[in-house]
Amino acid sequence: MRQQTGQISRFGTLKSLLQRFAFLALIGLTFALMLIGKADTVLLERARIAVTDAVTPLLRVMSEPASAIASTISNIRELGAIRTENAALREVNARLMQWQSLAQKLDSENRDLRQQLAVVPEPPSRFVTARVVADTGGAFAQSVIVNAGSGDGVAKGQVVMSGEGLVGRVMQVGVHSARVLLISDINSRLPVLVGESGTRAIMAGDNGARPRLLYLSAKTAVAPGDKVVTSGDADAFPVGLPVGRVARMGEGTVEVEPYMSSDKLQYVRIFDFGLANTVANTTSTLPAAARVSPAVVVPAGAAASAPAATPAAAPPAAATASAKPR
Amino acid sequence: MQLTPLQRVDQSLRRQIPLLFTLSLMLFALTPTHIPGMSHVTPMYALAAIYFWSIYRPDLIGYGTSFTIGLLDDLITGAPLGCTALVLLACQQIVFHQQKFFNAKPFGVFWLAFAVLALGAGVLKWLCVGLFAPGGFTPFTDMFAAVLITAAVYPVIAWVLAHAQIKLMAQP
Repeated sequence: MRQQTGQISRFGTLKSLLQRFAFLALIGLTFALMLIGKADTVLLERARIAVTDAVTPLLRVMSEPASAIASTISNIRELGAIRTENAALREVNARLMQWQSLAQKLDSENRDLRQQLAVVPEPPSRFVTARVVADTGGAFAQSVIVNAGSGDGVAKGQVVMSGEGLVGRVMQVGVHSARVLLISDINSRLPVLVGESGTRAIMAGDNGARPRLLYLSAKTAVAPGDKVVTSGDADAFPVGLPVGRVARMGEGTVEVEPYMSSDKLQYVRIFDFGLANTVANTTSTLPAAARVSPAVVVPAGAAASAPAATPAAAPPAAATASAKPR
Repeated sequence: MQLTPLQRVDQSLRRQIPLLFTLSLMLFALTPTHIPGMSHVTPMYALAAIYFWSIYRPDLIGYGTSFTIGLLDDLITGAPLGCTALVLLACQQIVFHQQKFFNAKPFGVFWLAFAVLALGAGVLKWLCVGLFAPGGFTPFTDMFAAVLITAAVYPVIAWVLAHAQIKLMAQP
């Protein structure tokens, strides 16, 4: 009996020792991984892509209920205001019809002038519509995962937009998924033009809701309410993409309220503008449907989250699109 | 009593329940909620699960599970590799060392202890990410909000996990 008790006690001690050893070994491993993560970013990125690709189908299924609830709430809200909204839309429609005839006139005039001046036309852009399946940021970063990857023509560096405005850039691409770094992320630095004067600045994210403007070339020329658009410097973004408005000007700080709201992101459009900073331009590997489809197919949820009343949010005229049937 | 092969498979699947629930909660924390202001806050649901299982079924959730879950979380979220794993391991070690304290205590004590642990976890992760991420330190308030939400949601998670333990892990 005593021998049996001794054996159990020895086994317990051994188990406790093994457990302690495992804990210390794993703690050591975490620190080693932190250092490896700093040194070998290629290997780490490959691992991130593989894991993200593997869990994206699961995340897509898990995000369905929240997405459905958000759509239902939005639909109910819209139903309540449907009459007033209808009247307002009729009014806007009448006004836009006038603008349309003016735009058509200007477009034909523009084409004539371009022809006379032999202007080299900009290459047409393409876009893929994808669903946001994970909000992977939180308190430490601002990024989302979308369910479109290199198999759909998405490449690193491509520009991501919502119905409201600029969302961010593709920073990591898997076969079926991609990670998008939002403009509000602490690592985001975006060259922008501010206001009518086109004052140059860099919009820097801080993981908060309002990124700040740095290196303002002429601060006095900026006022709250001024539009902020991309400047196209460094070939990271094309010129004139809508980013947001100047929200507040404090002592030494100018805050921007982005048009896009990371809380409402359900569907995004990933544009291939053919920019020099887009790594691995995969346009040639686009599925046939994506290359030839001239129709902009936007899922119902995206239409709900993309107010057409924002004129600056309209996609570039020459864009062709594809939407994954998900 | 000798178990049949089917019973053995059934038993081993039941032993994976803590891992599966922790993994599911880790992924659930990443799904977009579309609630205003929540995109800046990612609750630490996986920590709640690790805490729960480490108290009630320490035999089924070892350091290896915490390490794997933490590593997966870092790989998916893009956080510096190893940070979440370190946080989960440290929290689990504390819970394992305080098993006597948790003996026959009312739920309020478990909840309060979890809130304190979550705060410690939040601060540790904030420090770790701040030191290793290229962007440096992020606003402390977002981390604090994540801790508050995690602590507030803990009773719901504990209720779900307790039911899972009773319904799914009870021997037939």
